[in-house]
Amino acid sequence: MSAAVSTSAARRSSTPPPSGDRWGRVLRSEWTKFRTVRGWMIGLLSALALCATFTFLVANGSHEGGCFGPPSASGPNSPGSDCYTGHPFVPTGPSGEAVADSYQFVDRPLTGNGTLTARVTSLTGLISTNPRNEAPSLANTRPGLAAWAKAGLMITPSTRQGSPYAAVMTTPGHGIRFQHDYTHDEPGQPGSVSASGPRWLRLTRFGDTVTGYDSLGGGRWTEVGSTRLAALPATVDVGLFVTSPVTYDGAPSQATAILDHVTLNGHPGVSGWGSHPIGNDPRNYYPTLGAGSYQRVGDLFRLTGSGDIAAAVALAGGDTASTCLLLGLSVALIALIVVAAMFITGEYRRGLIRTTFTATPHRRHVLAAKALVIGTITFAIGALGAAVGVPLGNHLLASNGNYVFPASTLTIGRIILGSGALVALTAVAVLALGTILRRSAGAVTAGIIVFIVPYLIGSMSGDGAGTWLFRFTPAAGFSVLGILPRSATVSYPYTFANGYYPVSPLAGLAVLCLYTAGALGVAALLVTRRDA
Amino acid sequence: MTDALRAEWTKLRTLAGTARLLAGAVALTVAVSIATVASSHQSSPGGDPTKLALIGIDLGQAVVAVLAIVALSDEYATGMIRLTLTAVPRRLVLLTAKAINLAGLTAVTGVIAVTGCLIAGRLLLPRAGLGPSHGYGLLSIAHLPTLRAAIGSVLYLVLVALLALGVAAALRETAVSIGVVLGLLYILPLLSDAVSDPLRRHLQQIAPMTAGLTIQATSNLGSLPIAPWAGIAVLAGWAASSLLIGGLLLVRRDA
Amino acid sequence: MSEPSIEVFGLRKRFGSAQALDGMTFTVRPGRVTGFVGPNGAGKSTTIRVVLGLDAPDEGRALVCGEAYARLHRPLNQVGALLDAAALQPSRSGRNHLLWLAHSQALPARRVDEVIELVGIGSAARRRAGGYSLGMRQRLGIAAAMLGDPPVLIMDEPFNGMDPEGIIWMRQLLRSLAADGRAILVSSHLMGEVQDIAHQVVVVGRGRVLADASVEELIARGSGDHVLLRAPSPAQAASALRRAGTAPTILDEERLSVSGLAAQRVVEVLSQARVPFSEVAAHRASLEDVYLQLTGGEVEFRAAGEREARV
Repeated sequence: MSAAVSTSAARRSSTPPPSGDRWGRVLRSEWTKFRTVRGWMIGLLSALALCATFTFLVANGSHEGGCFGPPSASGPNSPGSDCYTGHPFVPTGPSGEAVADSYQFVDRPLTGNGTLTARVTSLTGLISTNPRNEAPSLANTRPGLAAWAKAGLMITPSTRQGSPYAAVMTTPGHGIRFQHDYTHDEPGQPGSVSASGPRWLRLTRFGDTVTGYDSLGGGRWTEVGSTRLAALPATVDVGLFVTSPVTYDGAPSQATAILDHVTLNGHPGVSGWGSHPIGNDPRNYYPTLGAGSYQRVGDLFRLTGSGDIAAAVALAGGDTASTCLLLGLSVALIALIVVAAMFITGEYRRGLIRTTFTATPHRRHVLAAKALVIGTITFAIGALGAAVGVPLGNHLLASNGNYVFPASTLTIGRIILGSGALVALTAVAVLALGTILRRSAGAVTAGIIVFIVPYLIGSMSGDGAGTWLFRFTPAAGFSVLGILPRSATVSYPYTFANGYYPVSPLAGLAVLCLYTAGALGVAALLVTRRDA
Repeated sequence: MTDALRAEWTKLRTLAGTARLLAGAVALTVAVSIATVASSHQSSPGGDPTKLALIGIDLGQAVVAVLAIVALSDEYATGMIRLTLTAVPRRLVLLTAKAINLAGLTAVTGVIAVTGCLIAGRLLLPRAGLGPSHGYGLLSIAHLPTLRAAIGSVLYLVLVALLALGVAAALRETAVSIGVVLGLLYILPLLSDAVSDPLRRHLQQIAPMTAGLTIQATSNLGSLPIAPWAGIAVLAGWAASSLLIGGLLLVRRDA
Repeated sequence: MSEPSIEVFGLRKRFGSAQALDGMTFTVRPGRVTGFVGPNGAGKSTTIRVVLGLDAPDEGRALVCGEAYARLHRPLNQVGALLDAAALQPSRSGRNHLLWLAHSQALPARRVDEVIELVGIGSAARRRAGGYSLGMRQRLGIAAAMLGDPPVLIMDEPFNGMDPEGIIWMRQLLRSLAADGRAILVSSHLMGEVQDIAHQVVVVGRGRVLADASVEELIARGSGDHVLLRAPSPAQAASALRRAGTAPTILDEERLSVSGLAAQRVVEVLSQARVPFSEVAAHRASLEDVYLQLTGGEVEFRAAGEREARV
């Protein structure tokens, strides 16, 4: 590697090249320096191998416990009859995303255009008080409502879970909403249902367009929202529904609604109102409290339901395409931190840095060239590791009977590029640390403590500290591995412990970028100020 | 042997980095403990105040490991190892002398760090909901499990230092040794966290950090993956094998 | 204890495809400075490392005072070695560097101060060694070698980085150490220095000993027994010498070279034959000439231009 430097130095003294060429030469000599040290090449390859190995270890070691689902109330692992093999069922929504789709539905077929109107006069509920690791049971509950409990009207082409739908509903905590296809939400009148303040709801179908209205007295109607449900068949199911999700604290809940003044205009089917409990099979991923029920007394409809109609959240630490990659990438990162640190500290240790600075007196060019070389190489390794790790982890998880939350090709692409960026930014930051400290011991230790330990502590300490660490330390960069979308219509602690990174992928990378830029800035300052 | 011990002691003592690293280890350990205790609010029962107060060891061990690695690998980096080996040609004697010195130094450091953590815990734990008003006793080494946790934490640091020294003897390169040791300490717990039982439990039983740190537990001993003293024995096994392999390579290879 | 010596028997060592040592054998005797010379890559450093127990030979053995190095008790009291003088931890002071070495041999701190005085770095001894000049590090290395007052000394390139004053000091030190009866091995590239201080020279190339002889012997061997003669009439002189049974070569119109006759005999022959001559000189080669003759075919790394020039 010193040969490369001395030849470029020799060339420089013989024919002074045009200044534009200078930068290219520094870059080239740094690249030659890097690729001609066999140990570093071995380091890169072992980073890749470690990434694949640890991804494999995690994926291969993750099994559904053999028995899942709400077992009998006597205990989590009692060999009851409610024991299933395979993974729980997660419905897939209209655009391929994972959804929760469990509710009590009282519906009739409707052919052609029509309008369904009803008045909600009461919404009450129960919340499970069982510990989290025990199955919820109606025997242990307290009265109360989840903020996103829902009671209202719905139009859907099918009662199959994951079907498209449009619905207008009243909620205890978020007023009246018009929602469709799990992720779309528009607000109506605020406030909740009470005995003195009932809520009138109306849902109309005209062609493919479904529109929701609300009214306080049943006289003046206000449009809440409207949508086109693509390829809506001639005959759809319309009806009343009630559901009640898991609370922020993780307790399943149940809601009971009383509706009256139910009128359906148009061409309803010959059959009358029929009740359909949707998705309350214990094999369902989304936990429910009690079986739903439906009673009709004259004009009064009394529905009890549990579950949610919304984007799925990883309630029980759901696996994603990047779950297994996380650890693989961290291990690879350690190997790359070592290589990046040695790339600069090795020169200081052996005095080679003086040769380098004699060959290229513009020291910041040397630093920039080194950063570019190590950044590019590690980007490639990180991206390659992710490109191998994602499908590997996915495949093994699935074949071990785990449910893997779906991710679009775009998301996978973002994870692969993001992994490269995460690794490259880290390596450049460690290079800068090495330039600042000039000792490999300090650079490697600082690199590992700054980049790995927050992840370790963050993943172990759960809520408060973990969220803080993944937001403000370089560990925020790991957000590029985030897959699970957050939903504004689900009240849920989106913490690292639950599989969510507290910041978005780009914001996480930006945080990491700030650290890298800071380190690089200090290094650039010191490298010119200090004697070599 | 006593000559080699004395020489290694002089060497460690006169290296500027040693005192700085040891002071850093104490400061980091106590600071992390203070920060963690001060920011935690125990609401549910079943907390382990002793373990919480000693959490700084999780990070302090990294500094101790680095000290142990540099004590040997820096001699390779400078080439001074050849002078050392002409002075003490019996290489196992050299490694033993280094190990004894490091163990002693780490033990003293550990005692200071652990004392600092316990004092901080005694003062701060009651405010974090882990004091007498919440049914927990004040931290005191008169409490036998706490005494065991305190002594065990010092022992833990000593064993981590020995493990690191063995790795440095085997690998000789500072940066690579630090990567391997810190990887071994920190990645295995993450791996065990990421997989499901029974593999998780097995990993926790054999990983040096998770097994060794069970010595800090003072409550819910039944739910530990491995009993406290057995856990420290596992770590001792790691340290012994690492020193054995390192020693073997040191003897067999050219300097 | 047996007499101070270094004995090297049939050392062989291979690094990958390179045969570093190929039957290296020689002995360093007490009371003498033995020069250890050879081109780069000839195996000098490897031999020294094997002698000091740093590297293990594939074959053969090396003994110091009749013992393998690793079996010596407190080895620095028997062998002092100056290796790479830059190989020290820069943050430690020179005095502390010597102190840990002294402790490893159970030597008192007093001895450290003695050797510091001996090598003349007293003023810098408490500064960090990382800031030492090359010459100062060299002196520190010699102090380390002298620490145990050993009867055997091994010096690898002791003149490295020394100023002229330092070189003179070093020369005197080595001579006086040898006069004390110590066995001293000095490896060096500076043939002039070796010629000045060494009694014995071991010339090595490609892992083997090419010559092992006293400096006098080597120089005589290199000089042959040529006598250079300057005479106004070379032809007359040549015929007179031919009659005395030699075959002189006429070099030019006033010089000829004679071999097989000592200079004194040449003077006698010419005087008897009344042939006029102005100068008779025995040709004396330098150690460098001898070295180049011996190692001519053994140099491993030589620039192409250099090779052509010499051929």
